[in-house]
Amino acid sequence: MINHVESPIIEIHDLTVSYDQSPVLWNVDLSLPSGKLIGILGPNGAGKSTLIKAIMGLVSPSGGYVKLFDKSLEEVRSRISYVPQRESVDWNFPASVLDVVLMGTYGKLGLFKRPGKKEKELAMECLEKVGMHGFAKRQISELSGGQQQRVFIARSLAQNADLYLMDEPFAGVDMATETAIFELLKQMTAEGKTVVVVHHDIYSAVNYFDWFIMLNLHLVASGPKETVITEELLRKTYGGKLNLLTKVSELIRQKEFNPLKN
Amino acid sequence: MMSFDQNAFLIIFTASMISISCGLLGVFMMLRKMSMTGDAISHAVLPGIVIGFFVSGSQRGLEVIIGAGVLGILATLMIDWLRRKARVQLDASIGITFTLLFAIGIILINLLAYKVDLDQECVLYGEIAYLPIDLWITGGGQNMGPRIMYLALLNLILVGGFIFLFFKELTVTSFDENFSMVIGIPAGVINLGLMSMVSYTTVSSFEAVGAILVVALLVVPPATAFLWTKKLNQLIKITIGIGIGIAFLGYYLAYFFDSSIAGMVVSVAGIVFLASALYKSKLISNRFGTSTNQESFGN
Repeated sequence: MINHVESPIIEIHDLTVSYDQSPVLWNVDLSLPSGKLIGILGPNGAGKSTLIKAIMGLVSPSGGYVKLFDKSLEEVRSRISYVPQRESVDWNFPASVLDVVLMGTYGKLGLFKRPGKKEKELAMECLEKVGMHGFAKRQISELSGGQQQRVFIARSLAQNADLYLMDEPFAGVDMATETAIFELLKQMTAEGKTVVVVHHDIYSAVNYFDWFIMLNLHLVASGPKETVITEELLRKTYGGKLNLLTKVSELIRQKEFNPLKN
Repeated sequence: MMSFDQNAFLIIFTASMISISCGLLGVFMMLRKMSMTGDAISHAVLPGIVIGFFVSGSQRGLEVIIGAGVLGILATLMIDWLRRKARVQLDASIGITFTLLFAIGIILINLLAYKVDLDQECVLYGEIAYLPIDLWITGGGQNMGPRIMYLALLNLILVGGFIFLFFKELTVTSFDENFSMVIGIPAGVINLGLMSMVSYTTVSSFEAVGAILVVALLVVPPATAFLWTKKLNQLIKITIGIGIGIAFLGYYLAYFFDSSIAGMVVSVAGIVFLASALYKSKLISNRFGTSTNQESFGN
């Protein structure tokens, strides 16, 4: 169940990525529409983060290619923003919240230039969007996990990009914050930006995203919510994890959300 | 008898400059969790020094610095290659790299011993006390003052300039390497630049403090400063302050005990670090022992 689109914002052709000879992504072939909130679903070790890293050029594929805005990554770097997993950095680093958000402006500043008043104002705006403007002077080592995550999202907003790729931005974030940030992401897509999010929670994912990529080493599905959230495709994605699947079908029944009938 | 004469000033001034250069680089090495790579580089440059010495015929040649720089970068690349491609753990790849290169250096010294006036002692330990008699005499015969002082000054200007110009890039690559690559900052180039500066600083300082004690100056002042602050600007300022303080105290203690100046400078640095760590750990245990709220985190 793979829907291809006309003039895609991301086009992935026959992508294979391997670590130490063993492939972690097999022949992924998909295209994504712009202006959508896109979720990447799949079990642990399905290659979700690897897919994002391959799109961002952080891992080199053993086969296939990725095109963004119909161009190569180098040509459109400034139009793309990336939120890495929170655990990928050491939060003991001596920097304030504002310092980290300002890093989002570095790409456009160029060599030798320091961020000035304009950049600081932009960074404060971005902090306000994620509800962290009161913490601008705080050292990042003093933040909770959810606050760290919001700082990363603010840094990404400060990049002023057209395409956002976020790797598990909701890990360790409480429900209220999660909802608030999803509202923000929806607003961004309404403004024509495209947001791709790796998400681990199927329950909330069904409510939030317009388009889904389902991954389990192979690409299982890619398409709008109505066509791909089916029991069959979820079973294919999550494999033998029956316990989980029972819960999913329960959830679908509870919400009377049955896309097969719609 | 304690005195503050011209020699004392020259030695303290030079030792301060060396420890500031090392400290500035050390801050970023520490933030990258690469303090031990600095250790590796300071030993791995030995074969480069020997070869440079052999080629130029004197330890003052530019060849020595180039040779050491090349070896320093080679060591960095080798450590990185072992870690990424051969999947050796970082500590093991550092241990393998620098011992191997250092051993080659020792063999080279022995092989070329009849041609070059260089021994392990000199490279390993250095001696800043000879500084006032090792003068820079220009072609016209004019006495410009201690040669090593000029080396240290040039080194400090270059290190300071490097950190000032690339402050933004050094910070972002230290904090989040993947992110910096995504926004188009070449993390690998910045890293190699930093490693080259460390190699150059090691060589520039080895006559004064020796290859072993340089490591201490790279690691200890930044580590001490990090106990006292969580702000990058202050971290750098405190590191510089510690650099000057240990040079001053180290000199006079060495004078008092009639001992090695470089050895005393590093011992003082070690003691300052231990005292800070002790004080901080006491403070933390008191804080948790006497109060349950964590308000004190917020200041």
